[in-house]
Amino acid sequence: MNRYFIYLVFVNMVANVVASVPKILISQRSEGALLSMIISYILGLVFCYLCARFFNLFPGEGLPDLTKKYMPRWFSFVILFVIAVTWYIAGLITLVTFSFLLKRFLTPDMPLSWITITFLLFLTYGILLNSKSVLYTVEFVLICSLPFVFIITIKAYTSHELNWDFIGESLMYIHNPPSFTAISASAYLLLGGFNLIIFNRLFKKKQQINWKNMLFIALIGGTALVTTYFIPIGMLGFDAVGDVVYPWITTSDSLRLEFFIVERVIYIFLLLYLAISFLSVLIHWHVTLELLKSIIWFKKFQLKKRNLTPYLFLSFFWVASLIAVSYLTEYHLIQYSSYFLNFLLCSFVVMFSLFLFIKRRAKV
Amino acid sequence: MRSFTNKISTSHETLEWLFEELKSTSDLVNKPLHVGEKHVELLYIKTVVDGEQLQQLVIKPFFELESLEHVEAYLNSLPNLQENQPREQMLLELTKGSVVVEVRDQLLLLDIKKSNTEAVLETSIEPTIQGPQYSLSEDIATNINIIRQRYHKPSLTVEMMELGENTHQSLAIIYDEELVISDVLENIKKKLSALNPPIIQSTTELNRLLNDKKRSLMPIMMMTERTDRVVFNLAGGKVVLLLDGSHTTVIAPVVFFDFMTSMDDIYGSYWITRFLKLLRYFGLFACLTLPGIYVAATSYNPEVFRVELALSIAGSRIGVPYPSFVEVLFMLVFMELLTEASIRLPKAVTGAATTVGGLILGQAATEAALASNIMIIIVGAVAISTFVIPINEMSFGIRVVRLILLVFASFAGLAGLVFGLIGFLMYLTQLNSFGEPYFKIYLQSKRAETEKTSS
Repeated sequence: MNRYFIYLVFVNMVANVVASVPKILISQRSEGALLSMIISYILGLVFCYLCARFFNLFPGEGLPDLTKKYMPRWFSFVILFVIAVTWYIAGLITLVTFSFLLKRFLTPDMPLSWITITFLLFLTYGILLNSKSVLYTVEFVLICSLPFVFIITIKAYTSHELNWDFIGESLMYIHNPPSFTAISASAYLLLGGFNLIIFNRLFKKKQQINWKNMLFIALIGGTALVTTYFIPIGMLGFDAVGDVVYPWITTSDSLRLEFFIVERVIYIFLLLYLAISFLSVLIHWHVTLELLKSIIWFKKFQLKKRNLTPYLFLSFFWVASLIAVSYLTEYHLIQYSSYFLNFLLCSFVVMFSLFLFIKRRAKV
Repeated sequence: MRSFTNKISTSHETLEWLFEELKSTSDLVNKPLHVGEKHVELLYIKTVVDGEQLQQLVIKPFFELESLEHVEAYLNSLPNLQENQPREQMLLELTKGSVVVEVRDQLLLLDIKKSNTEAVLETSIEPTIQGPQYSLSEDIATNINIIRQRYHKPSLTVEMMELGENTHQSLAIIYDEELVISDVLENIKKKLSALNPPIIQSTTELNRLLNDKKRSLMPIMMMTERTDRVVFNLAGGKVVLLLDGSHTTVIAPVVFFDFMTSMDDIYGSYWITRFLKLLRYFGLFACLTLPGIYVAATSYNPEVFRVELALSIAGSRIGVPYPSFVEVLFMLVFMELLTEASIRLPKAVTGAATTVGGLILGQAATEAALASNIMIIIVGAVAISTFVIPINEMSFGIRVVRLILLVFASFAGLAGLVFGLIGFLMYLTQLNSFGEPYFKIYLQSKRAETEKTSS
């Protein structure tokens, strides 16, 4: 499989930390979080594999191209629109969460809307690029930041403050029945591959996802999931971790680099995740924009030979995110994201029946 | 045959026409050679023709050979003879240094150019420690000769064309036919034939003229004067453009990382060159971000750095009467002025200018508390690290980007700086150099990465 596919999967894995996944999982730590994680791990891997297999059948074609070929027009419109909105919300959650984070930890003097506007300015430029440039950007930022993520992870595991007893305590709850919310939250880690619905357009060569790729994804995904859940518990304590709004930020603030110019890991962490969550939003919204472009296109809506339809969508993106940022509170945000993640997992039933249907029609 | 008869009837007329066209030029020479039965007429512009060669090649044999047939046969056998050409072209060739010889109702065009620009210059723009120390000359024939001397392969192709409505400069398109990416070559040729500037003086002008975008920041072709770089890139399948009268070439297509390589990277041993490369990228990163980090760390997030450092930065800013971004902007602008002045000034004065500017201004600025000591260090570090970028055009581009990043950092602190860097990255990834991606990480083999379908 193409290395760019792996990047798409990676971004979701790494960015989950700011997408309220750890908070949701930790809130259920004494209920069924552990078993849910195991279930969702297997589920996520299967999803990832199936998705890659499906798109391997159609090299160079995105989902819109396929639905147009094999589906009635109205149906393809409805389904693509729903998917586009889903992807938009996925990006929006990351955007809003990170705006809150910046406001709270890095730039408390700046008004929230100002932070969001800065985000949006660069996002606007980014999602209007062609898909290839988006992938190149993702690759470069990931290659620059993954070593730091790796170092922070190692630092966390080897830190003296990490109390393994708390992790042991959390393991005691493995017998509790899994909950749907926890499953859907942790499955989010492995769903990055679904961005293929647009990016498959670029993978024109015939390729096959093999067991080596899957093993690699499984290994990294497993590590990410375990780290996401256990490190905050081990650092902050099994009981106390529930009182923290951003478990991972607080965890990173308890790490210290004794011999570096920047002493508190939290600032490296924040800047790192600023870049990574930017990528996450960039990918999601780029997919949204491309999906919308494939179903709604006003030919006459032009200014100086430049079609303004994408700008129309972008203005909706702006308005919606500015409204969301000003109305949501941190409590609501986590609640709504857990609703969204639940919906996301359910919607994959539709997604896979769509895949099956297209596969039948295409007879491949 | 038809053209031949046609020529007989008009050869004298053509000569007259050429004479009429150039009459107002005082250095035009129309010299009849006459002895016994033999009669030949020469027409040339004295100042562009090599008189000695003319004497040796044409005048002397004329008097020595027996008959006019012999003279004609002799002249026809000369390697300088140019193919039959329409009279407009003849006129143009005359201005470039050709001689028109009328012999037995036939016009022969001999190329006896005198060029005073043949001297091969020493490398001045991109000096290296190892590798060839001479660059190119300002004469195209010499330059092609130099390149061919260094690249012996039959598939090396040199195509000539003319550019510039008024100046008619010759332009050579040089590439290795076996290795070149044909799409890129087509693209370049198409663009070249489409442009028609009134005058063109330097190959680097092509960088702007061949760019699709009217306003661009980053160079999409690489300017170089080094012959080893030219050969290295030819072997890599790139196209080299060479303009007469310019001692630099431009190379296309390029990727961003090409601008960060020095030719010394090939000559040194592995770990040394790795270290130098790392140093260079560190320099790039430092000169892009240091001013921004300073503003962000003093005005937005002093808590980011360890306490001791934060305190010493704050301490050195005691007495500075304005916010940090004004301070940085003030010092950066003066640094840019200093760089610019040291390029334009006559060499004799440069030393004085840099001393006055760099030492005295820097020292006085801190003592007058117009800038902090740490600021001076940062400006110095930024200036040095800008000079580390091997290709000049890129370092000019980076200087501009640095100011843009400073603006973002002044507006949104460290977050703004990170956004700015990502924005710059996105700007780079969307660029392309003649259809090839400009900024892309090359992890796999070259074949796998350059194939259009692989991405």
